[in-house]
Amino acid sequence: MNDSLTTRAKRIYEWLDKRLLISPLIAKTQRTINFALPSTLTRQNRSRVFWFIYPYYYAGAITAFLAILQGITGLLLAFNYVPSAVGDPGTPTQAYLSVQNIMRSVPLGALIRGMHQWGANLLVAAVAVHAFWAFFRSPYRVGRELTWFLGVFSLGLALAYSFSGYLLPWDQLGYWAATISIQIMRAIPLLGNSLAQILLGGTGLSATTLTRIYFYHVSLLPVVALVLVGAHMLLVILQGVSEPEEAWKTKSEKQVAPLFGPFFPQQIAPVLIVSLVTLGIVLLLSAYAVQFPGDPANKFLTPRFIVPEWYFLWAYGLLKWVGWIYDIVHFAPPAAVFGVDLLSAKVVGILVAAVLFLVLLLLPIIDRGKEVRALRRPLKTAIGVWAIGFLATLTLYALNEILSADLSIPVDTMNLILGSIVIAVPLIAAAPVYLVLRQHVAKGVS
Amino acid sequence: MSMSEKDAPESGKKARHSASRRQFIQMMVALGFLGTIASFLSLLTSLLPSSGGGQQQGEVDNTFRYGPEKGTWYADKSGSEVKVEDFDQIGKGAGVLWRGSIPAILIRIDESKLRGATANSGLIAFSSACTHLCCIATWHLDRPNEAVLFCRCHDGIFDPYDIVKDIMPNGVEYRGARVIGGPPPRAAPIIPVEIRDGKVTGVPSNLETYAYCG
Repeated sequence: MNDSLTTRAKRIYEWLDKRLLISPLIAKTQRTINFALPSTLTRQNRSRVFWFIYPYYYAGAITAFLAILQGITGLLLAFNYVPSAVGDPGTPTQAYLSVQNIMRSVPLGALIRGMHQWGANLLVAAVAVHAFWAFFRSPYRVGRELTWFLGVFSLGLALAYSFSGYLLPWDQLGYWAATISIQIMRAIPLLGNSLAQILLGGTGLSATTLTRIYFYHVSLLPVVALVLVGAHMLLVILQGVSEPEEAWKTKSEKQVAPLFGPFFPQQIAPVLIVSLVTLGIVLLLSAYAVQFPGDPANKFLTPRFIVPEWYFLWAYGLLKWVGWIYDIVHFAPPAAVFGVDLLSAKVVGILVAAVLFLVLLLLPIIDRGKEVRALRRPLKTAIGVWAIGFLATLTLYALNEILSADLSIPVDTMNLILGSIVIAVPLIAAAPVYLVLRQHVAKGVS
Repeated sequence: MSMSEKDAPESGKKARHSASRRQFIQMMVALGFLGTIASFLSLLTSLLPSSGGGQQQGEVDNTFRYGPEKGTWYADKSGSEVKVEDFDQIGKGAGVLWRGSIPAILIRIDESKLRGATANSGLIAFSSACTHLCCIATWHLDRPNEAVLFCRCHDGIFDPYDIVKDIMPNGVEYRGARVIGGPPPRAAPIIPVEIRDGKVTGVPSNLETYAYCG
């Protein structure tokens, strides 16, 4: 009766431990983590912890926090959403009405849906920053190849999540974005049609498609996410965070002196602070910028200015841009090469996107350079800058119709301007990076 | 075999005999295990499309009906049957629906300028799902001053005055409006027009032609 709270908690733990035999496991885990980053060695570097100095390290932590937030808000939304797209084109379906219901009638429904929507957007942004940062810093060169592979797959997972979630309200934008994506999928040489049949239950969108997409979004992908992201984060915890290059200077002195404190509590504390700030931003955005679904899906009417979500714009722009190049050089792709439209703009677009993904995935195998510092890798860093420029300008190109209408410039002129930008700007950005860094490296050697 | 020889290099016939018996059992268990997994894999065939599931039942009406585009001259007639007298001047066109599921564009054209096909009472109809990625093309909505079928998604343009032969991915040969701009790989297929009691109807000569969007 007079036991203090801690004694009581201890007793409960002992009762559980007797049955589950978990204490050796916990002790071992603690040892492993502490062994990776011994606090005795970091004490002398205490002034140089994580916080303030290395803000770019937070992209991963923010991603993890947002993923948890997506899980919670998604769970709540699932209680009120009805995955049924049965109904006449242009009339509100059960799916559409249930989203309306969440927005108007369900207590705090609009806030929860807003958090889910904004959380998804911010998550993709955080993942992109995280991925690009990892690209430049090459942590995969020093024993983190598996973390990299898992990370690239998680990037694909985030996109699969967004794609499937975008369709769920069954409104015009989601419907047509999905239609275009499915038709692009069908254009994959040889496999396309079967893939569309298996993944989406048909070669066009139907009520069956929504059921399958819903199943992926709430059931299949979460399991995949737990495994992929869980393994990714476990590796980060076990191996310790890949440290900034400043830390390397001390390593020549035969002393392992990690810059950052141990995972718990020194590293996790600022992560929690950043997570709270992120939560605040998500709450603010979802309270003041709630987006209702558009008109109900109508398969007989494509809306004007149809664009996908911002993170797929580059792919959309790529399709348009390849078509524009073909027009400029008066190249009419042959109808069939080996039985498929191998050279049509959409297949070329698919192949370019596939190659980009494969290069990203296999980077630890392709990039054999010993140097990890971005400033000492002229070619690789220049390629990274070019890739960012290419994606950004393609995103701009995807908006050609909207820009030409807003600025009242003829579409053909607009295409010429934007198309040239896509070719020139990434090169103009990458060339000086390469030249300057090469000089920098040459100086360093001599 | 190599394993058993390593384990017992000089123990002779008996050891080798029992080892191979063990190997046999191991192999059988492995085969059984793989067989079980393989038999479960067969369940994946349920993911393939079932035959006849989505077929339309009963009589299908071939009359064109006005489409759902807002802000057009036919907006208030949406869903009603298309009458030939509505198309009283050259260049007038409408988004229509054929057989309840095939979006199309019906246009009154200048027959003297038409190449490669003949119109019926000046009317010609095309399946309006773009052959590129299946967005619905429009007439005079996005390009009001040009006599073209225009697709909003990737700026595909078709010329309704220039009818050419083409082949669908499923091998069907057909005639359609030639692609004059943008990424569409094939012509927009013609739907043959027939006038019955003043109503404009389409002739379902080969429906396989219009199945390209699934």
